[in-house]
Order: sequence, then structure tokens, then C-alpha cells
Amino acid sequence: MRPVRKIPRSKYKTVIWMCGIVIVLIFILVPVYLLVKYSISDTASINTGGSPVPLWPYHPTLRCFIYLFQDFEFWGVVLNSFIIAISTVALSMALGVPASYVLARQQIPGKKIILLSLISIRLFPDISSVIPVATFFIKINVHSSLFGVILAHTLLSLPYVIFIGVSAFENIPRDIEEQATVMGANGFQIFFRILLPLAVPGLVAAAIYTFLLSWDEFIFAHFLLHPSGRLLTLTLYLKQKLTFQPPQNLLAAISVCLSIPVIIFTLLVQRQMISGITMGSVK
Amino acid sequence: MAEVVLKNISKYFGDHKVIDQINLNIQTGEFVTLLGPSGCGKTTLLRMIAGLESIDEGELLIDGKRYNSIPAQNRSIAMVFQSYALFPHMNVRNNILFGLRIKKKADHEMFEKLQWVIPLLGLEGLEYRLPKQISGGQRQRVALARALVLDPEVLLLDEPLSNLDTALREMAMEELKRIHRTVGKTIIYVSHNQAEAMSMSERIAVLNAGTLEQYETPSGLYEQPKTSFVAEFIGSPAANMFDGELIHDNKDVYLESEIGTVYFDKERASAIRELIGRKFIISIRPQDIHFFKDYIPRRTSDTKLTVKVEFIVNMGDRNLVVGRTSRNVPVRFLITHDDEMTVGDEVSVIIDGRKIHLFDPDTKQNIFMM
Repeated sequence: MRPVRKIPRSKYKTVIWMCGIVIVLIFILVPVYLLVKYSISDTASINTGGSPVPLWPYHPTLRCFIYLFQDFEFWGVVLNSFIIAISTVALSMALGVPASYVLARQQIPGKKIILLSLISIRLFPDISSVIPVATFFIKINVHSSLFGVILAHTLLSLPYVIFIGVSAFENIPRDIEEQATVMGANGFQIFFRILLPLAVPGLVAAAIYTFLLSWDEFIFAHFLLHPSGRLLTLTLYLKQKLTFQPPQNLLAAISVCLSIPVIIFTLLVQRQMISGITMGSVK
Repeated sequence: MAEVVLKNISKYFGDHKVIDQINLNIQTGEFVTLLGPSGCGKTTLLRMIAGLESIDEGELLIDGKRYNSIPAQNRSIAMVFQSYALFPHMNVRNNILFGLRIKKKADHEMFEKLQWVIPLLGLEGLEYRLPKQISGGQRQRVALARALVLDPEVLLLDEPLSNLDTALREMAMEELKRIHRTVGKTIIYVSHNQAEAMSMSERIAVLNAGTLEQYETPSGLYEQPKTSFVAEFIGSPAANMFDGELIHDNKDVYLESEIGTVYFDKERASAIRELIGRKFIISIRPQDIHFFKDYIPRRTSDTKLTVKVEFIVNMGDRNLVVGRTSRNVPVRFLITHDDEMTVGDEVSVIIDGRKIHLFDPDTKQNIFMM
């Protein structure tokens, strides 16, 4: 007779899955925990003079944040980053959405090759493409300006916007478009009244992704803005502070400020992604 | 209101001819069905009328006007897709009004149309629901309402009932007939379901592999199939098809076939003697093979056939019997529930020779109609 199993196989599986999830969560959450912990640490909790660093600061304080928020330069930097990110989103969408519509819906020779070469732009490491881009930008005189960074970030995000956009448009059943045609709608009416509203969830995701990409981009911002030293983004500000070896808690506070929009927007992306707006239109 | 005329219409997908020289004449206010198996080109033909596919050869005339190069937007045609293709981000009301808004109709006109179409299709109370919040039958009605408010010359329906369950489909069929009577539009309907086509249409165009097999009234198709394809495709259960040869001996003309000698009504063929010795496809409907308990041969065109019952299928109102002749050829016929028959029985049935059709094996044409 076979021995009676105390725990059925499915239970084992569940336990293994749970362990896996816990490990993944640790990997994700520990850096966040460290970041938050340091940002609210008092000096005594960091410079412990040999004794182990406490898991939670002895005297949690928002001193670093208060210091940051009172710093005029910090606000200027946040504003710069924000302007760059928003403008990048606007420019990427303005260029990417029409492009992705055309690539998804019109008969274009070599469509696959165009898409492939678009994504291959992102195959090169940023560090290798930044020099030619910076050189070119100096030539066309958009170096050391917010516009130059916006342009560079658009360059980085456009392949993603187009890829997400193409799939968003391709997912709309052709029947819907043909139905609108038979009902008398022309190309513009179909695009603005039917296709665009239906592609919104995908396009919003692309927009938010673009925002995040621009918000914490460092290499291009560094090469395009650094020499002047007056225009800074949040990432450059952080780098500048690093060279002066400031207390860890201040660095952590800057990092938290850098991360907050990322977290907020990621939550927004999820909500937009889940909304299955096309459900129920066809069948 | 408009008459739709298709003149020698052809369509190619690459080198493949998907629509081959089709001629159709659809009268004003007529309900015509394009019927055929999947892949026969019926939907393609409908899309050509709508303007969603180009016409490679031939002419499309609506009310005498050549339509070939008029873009779909400018044709006075409405279409209901198999998928309904409702705009998922618009509520029922906005879906119905979309076409009118595109045509920049006045508010009072749109209001009047809504007041007319919503009760006509029983959509009261659903005006502000999204397509995903209503049932399949309701979506189908919204799609129809959306087409009707445009007041098109021609209404194209691409298998609009195929996504509905049987009960709903029968209701929708009646509703569609009622609407056709009310609005009197020219309707071109695409279906692969012959029962649907037979019960709704005034005329049916049977398509097979891109060609028009026959264009007739439902009863005409059933009684006088022009080709062997129509004979086999129309009618349920499918007709029995046998190979045979026309024989003439001293006193009689009859068919010698796979199932033995078959007699038929010679008066129907004008020049029967010229066909002696030729081979034919014989089509006999299961409905025309009768089982009588006490058989008395009455007509000279009757043929007695003995088969062994292989299995019996309950068709609801009747039973379908599949029997085998002594030469092991399957023969399908219908019996009532009262007829006593069990699998393995040897039974005698009578083929009604007045109802059989003969088709030329090469041209597939019905020789009684030549």
C-alpha cells in the first residue's frame, strides 16, 4: 500500500510558489525600505561609531526633506525635470501616435523593416549613442538647453511609444473601422472619433512610460546639460550632491523625491491597463 | 429605395478568382439572401456591394447608376456586420446616432429617428448602456437600429444571427421579417444557414466557389434545383446522390444506378430519348422516399427499394433513417415516430419518381431544366 500523504501535491506547489513570491518581494522591497529608512534617519543612526546600523532610525526625522524643500535650487531642478518629462511626453505622443496609426492600419511597403529598425535604435547602449547625439546637438545648436534634452528623451521614448501604439491600434477590430466607413465617416472622423478613444488605454500607458523614462534619465541629461552647470535635472542634482559627499540621509531624501512620481504613475498605469474598454464590442 | 444590379462581377485575391462572373438582379424592396458554404465568396460579394472591397471586373449598378468607383462613405448603403461592430466606447444612443452625426443631421431629426427606431427594435431603457453591458440579442438589435436610422437605399446584413442561440435566432428572424415589411428596404442578407435563408428571403442566390449556382425563390430552389450542388445543399437532411445511367429497353425508359433500377416520371424531360445511354447524377430527397407498412404500388414512376436499417436519428418531428442497399450503398429517408422500425430490419421503401432530379455529371446541370 502506498503511504498516505499528509499534504497533497497541490499544497506543496502553493508553498513553493509562496516562497518564491516572498523572495521576489524581499528583492523589491528591501531597497525601498533602505531608501526610506535613510531618508528619515538622524545623524546618530547613520554614523553609529562601530555599532550596527539600527533597522529603524533611533529618532526618525523629516529634517532632510525640510532642508530640501526649503532649498530654492531643488525646486528649480524639480521644475526642470518636470518640464522636460511633460514636454517629452507631448512631443513623443504628437509624433508617435500618428506614426503608430499609419504603421498599424495603412498598407506600407517594408512595414516590418521600419518597425524593426525603430526598435533597434534602442538596442545600442545609451552610453554609446550619447556622444554622436551630443555632437550633433552642438552642431544644430540645441545643446545646453531644456529643448535639447526633450529632443533626446523623445528619441529614446519614440520607439516604445510607436510599438505600444501600433499594438493598441492593431487590437481594434477592423470591423469597427469598416462599420464607421460604411456609415459615412471619413479617415479623420474614424481616427478621432473611433480609433483614438479606443486606443487610449494603450496610449496612456505609453505616455506614462515616456514620463518615467524622461524623469529618471541620467546619461543624456548629463552629456547635454552638464558643461553649463546651471541647468540641472533631478538626476543631475543628485549626481552633483554625490560629488560633495553629503550625508547619506540627504541623498536618500533626494532619491525618494525622485521615486515618488514613479510610484504614483506606475499605479496609474496599472489602472489604465486593466480597463478592458474594447470588451463587448465584437461578439 | 433602389434596385441593385450586379453585371458580370469578378474579384481576384492575387491570382485566385474568388468571385467569378456573377450576375444578380435585386429588385427594389426585395429581401435576397446570398447563401453558400463558408468560403464561397458570399461575404466578399456583400463587401463589394458595400464598397469595402474593390470590384475587379463587371459593374455594380444601384438605381441604374454605376457604383464601382464610389467610395464606401458615399454609398447610400448600411451594413450590419457579423460581429455587430458596435463602437465599444459609445452607449447605445450614441452608437445609433453616430451615422446621423457624421451626416450632420439636425438635432430634431436625430431625435425623431431615435423616437422611431428605439420602440421598433425594443431598445427602450437601454439607451445609456454600453455595448458590453447588453446581451447578444440586444447588440444585434442595436446594430440593426444603427443601420436603419441612416435610411439607406440598401441594407446589407452579414450573418447577423449567427452569434445568437437558437431561440433568440428564431425570434430575431421573425423580427427581421417584420422590420422588412415595415420599412420596405432592399435587403441583401448573407447566410450559410439554409433554414434561415429559406424562411426569410424572397429570393436566394446560391453561391459555390465564387460562382452563382442558382437565383430563385426558396420553393423554386427546393423543387427545381438547377445544379447538383443546389440539390445537395438545399433541403435538410441532405439529398441522396447516386450515379446512374439512362436505359431504354423495348417497353420502358428507366435508370440503372448504384441502388438498382429507378423509375421516374418521363414526361418532365422533353427529349428524353436523346439522353439514352448517358450517365447522370440522380438526386433523391429523403423526403421523397416513403415508408408504407402495407405497400401497394400505385404509379409507374414509383420504385420499390429494399434496405437494411443501419441507424435511426431522431430529428425532433421525424426520424431520419440511414439504410444500406444490398450493394451497400447508404440511403437516407424519413419516417414518422409512429413507424415501427429497429436497427437491422429489412424494410421496403418507395422512391417517388416524380420528384427525382437528374444532373449531367460534367456540367452538373439539371437535365429537366434544359
